[in-house]
Amino acid sequence: MKIFLRSLRQIVSRPVYWAAMFILPLFCILLLTTLMEEGLPMKIPSAMVDKDGTSLSRELTQNLGSMQLIDLTEECNSYTEARHLVQEGKIYGFFMIPENFESDLLAGKSPVVTFYTNMTFYVPASLSFKAFKTTALISKVGIIVEVVEAVGGSGSQAMGLLQPVSFVGRPIGNPDMNYAVYLANSFLPCVLQLMIMLVTCFSLGQEIKYGRSRQLMDMANGSVLKAVFMKLLPETLIWWVMILFLESWLYCWQGYPMHGSWFWFTLGELMYVPACQGMALILFGITPNLRLSLSLSALLGILCFSVAAFSFPEQNMYPSISIFSWMLPARYNFLIYIDQALNGRDLFFSRWWYVAYIAYMVIPLLFMGRIKKAFMRPVYVP
Amino acid sequence: MGFIRNFTKAFASEFRLAMHDQGILIFLVLLPIAYPIIYSLIYNPEFARDVAVVVVDNDRTQLSRELVRNIDACQEVHIIGYAADLNEAKRAMDSRDCFAIIEIPEGFQRKVERNETGNAIFYSDMSLMLRYKGVLTATTNVALAMGSELQAKKINEVAPLASTLTTGDPMPVESHFLGNIQGGFDSFLMPGVLILILQQAAVLAIGMAGGARREKLLYSEGNGMSITTWMLGRTACYLALFMVPAIYICHYVPLMFSFPMEGDSLQIFAFILPMLLASIMLGFCLQGVVTERETVFVIWVVTSIMFLFLSGLTWPRYAMTGVWKALADCVPATFGVLGFIKMNGNGSSLAQVGDCYTALWIQAAAYTCLAMIIQWHLRKHYSR
Repeated sequence: MKIFLRSLRQIVSRPVYWAAMFILPLFCILLLTTLMEEGLPMKIPSAMVDKDGTSLSRELTQNLGSMQLIDLTEECNSYTEARHLVQEGKIYGFFMIPENFESDLLAGKSPVVTFYTNMTFYVPASLSFKAFKTTALISKVGIIVEVVEAVGGSGSQAMGLLQPVSFVGRPIGNPDMNYAVYLANSFLPCVLQLMIMLVTCFSLGQEIKYGRSRQLMDMANGSVLKAVFMKLLPETLIWWVMILFLESWLYCWQGYPMHGSWFWFTLGELMYVPACQGMALILFGITPNLRLSLSLSALLGILCFSVAAFSFPEQNMYPSISIFSWMLPARYNFLIYIDQALNGRDLFFSRWWYVAYIAYMVIPLLFMGRIKKAFMRPVYVP
Repeated sequence: MGFIRNFTKAFASEFRLAMHDQGILIFLVLLPIAYPIIYSLIYNPEFARDVAVVVVDNDRTQLSRELVRNIDACQEVHIIGYAADLNEAKRAMDSRDCFAIIEIPEGFQRKVERNETGNAIFYSDMSLMLRYKGVLTATTNVALAMGSELQAKKINEVAPLASTLTTGDPMPVESHFLGNIQGGFDSFLMPGVLILILQQAAVLAIGMAGGARREKLLYSEGNGMSITTWMLGRTACYLALFMVPAIYICHYVPLMFSFPMEGDSLQIFAFILPMLLASIMLGFCLQGVVTERETVFVIWVVTSIMFLFLSGLTWPRYAMTGVWKALADCVPATFGVLGFIKMNGNGSSLAQVGDCYTALWIQAAAYTCLAMIIQWHLRKHYSR
C-alpha cells in the first residue's frame, strides 16, 4: 500500500505524467473525432473544362455541380490551365468535355469525355473519382435513351438495357462509410497503447535512474513482483478510467457503431490496459534501462499504427513483415473491435484475441528476474 | 574575430553534446535512416489485391457463373468459393476467411433477358476501407463491362438502326490519375510521412539535447557571448547534421521505392530548407519544457500521429474546421508535407507552392524569435 501511495504521489507531482496520461490522450481523442466530424470530406474543389460550350455540355456541368461530393470552384478553358490549378493544390480533379462534343455525339462519332483525379491526395481523389464516374454514366444513360428514341425505339425499352447488370453495395456496420468511424476505432486505442508503454517504461526507468529502486524493493520486502505490481497499479487505474472514457465517448456520445455485447467489449477494453503494460514490462525486461526501453516502446508503438494493419490489409504485406502485425496488443484490440463492436459477432470468433491479452499479462513474469537484478543494482546509462 | 570564435565555440559545444549522447545519435542517424525504409516496406505492396470473397449464387445460370468468373479475374478480388446460403457465407466472414460476400439473387439471368436490370449484391466488411474499395472497384468494373457487352447485343434487337448509329459506345468515358498515377497506397502515404519523419527527428534530437544540457549543466558554455551568436552556432550545427538525412529522405528514399519523383531536386531542397530550419527552432523551443533527456519521448512521440492528420495528407485541409486548421498552421510539417507532395507528385514548381513556402519562412522566423527568448531564459537559469 505504501508503494501504491508513493507511486501515486510521483504521478501527481510531476507534470510530465499529467501530460502523458491525460492531456495528450484526450487531445488525440478530441482531434480524431472532431476533425472528421462530417464523416466524408464533401464539396471537393474541382473544375470543369468545357471546350464545347453547348446546351448539352452545360447540362453535364450542371449534373456534376449538383453532386454532393463536388464543388465546381473553378472554370478552365484548357487542360493546361486545369493542371496548373491541380499543381497549386486549388482543385483535386477536373472533368473535361472535348470540342464539338454535342455535334459529334449526335453524329454518332463517339466523343470521349475524360476526367482526371489527383491521387497525390488519396481520399478526396477517390471520392471525386466516384462522383465523376457517376456523373459520366448518368449522362451517358440519358444520351442512349435519346438515341434509341430517335431511331424509333420506345423509352421504356431503352431503360431496361441501359444497365443490364448492376451491383448494390452493402457496407456492413458502417453504412455511410464514415471515415472517422474507420480511423478513430483503431488509432485511438493505439495512441493509448503508445502512451501506456511509454509511461510504464518511464516510471520504472526513473526508479533506476535516480537510484530509488533499492528503496522500492525494500518497501516490497524484496519481492520484485509486489514492487512492480503496486508501482504500476495506480497507473492501471488511471488508464482504466481513460479507456472507459474513450469507449463511452466513441460509442455513446459519438454514436459509433456498437452492434455486439457491451459486456465482452468492455471486458476486452479493461484487459487491454494490463496487456499493454505487460508488453511494456517485456520490453523493460529485455532492456532494463530507461532510454533503451523508451526508445523501443516509442519505435514499436509508432510502428504499430502501420504494421498492425489498420489501413493496409496484412494479407497484402510481405509475409516477413505481416507477422509483426501480431506483435503488439493494439492489433488484438482492433480485432475485438471488428468482431464485437462493428460486426456484433459471436464471442466464439474472438476467443483467441482475448487469450492473446492474457498472454501479454503472463509473459512478463518470465522477465521479473532480470528486472529484479536491475532494481537491486541500479546503474544509469545515459 | 570575436564573433567567429564564439560561433565556433557554440557550434562545437552543441556538436560535442550530440556526438557523445547515444540517445541523440539515435534520432540523428538511426531514425531518419531506418524508419523511412521500414515504413515504406510495410506499404510497399501498394494495393489491396485478392481480397477473399465468398459467392452465394441463388441463380445458378450461365450468366451468373460468367459474372462470378469475371469478378474472380479482377486483380482486386479473389473468389475463395461458393457457399450454399448467406448463413454459411456469414460464418466464413465471421471467421475472417473472407471479407466480402457476393449474393446473386434467383432470377438474375431471367431479369436481364427480360430487359430489366439484374441486381446482384455485395456485402463488405468495413474494418478496412481499402478492402471495400477493392471489392467496389471490381464489381463496378465487371458490371459495366458486362453491361456494355449486353447493351450492344440488345440495342440491335430493340432498334436495329441504333446499332449502326452508335458503333459500340456512344460516349466513351476515360479517367486518368494525376500525381500518383498508379493510385498505390505506399506512393500516396509515404512521401508525406517522410517529411514528417524529418521534422520529428529534428525536434526529438534537439529536445533531448536540451534535456542533456540541463542534466550535464552545460548551459554555462553559452556564457560570455551574445544570445544571437550562441543560437547561430548551435543552429548551424544541427543544419549541418541534418543535411545528409534531409537529402537521403527527400531524394534517395523515393528513388529506392520508386515513388513519384516529378519535382526538380534543387527546388525541393530549397523548399525543405525553411522546413528544416523551422523544425530545428521548434526543437529549441521544446527545450524549454524538457527537464530531463527522457521526457522528450513521453511528451513528443505521440504528436507524430496528430501532425499526420493535421497535415491534410489524409483528411484534406478544406474540410477542416477553423480551430484545427489554425493549429495545423503552426506545424512546420503541415506545409512541408503539402508542398513536398505537390512538388514530388504533381511536378509543381517552387512558385506554384509559393503559399506553403512563404508560410514555412514565416514559421521559421516566428519560431526563431520564440526560441531566442526561451534559450535566453534557459541560459540565465541553468548556467551555474
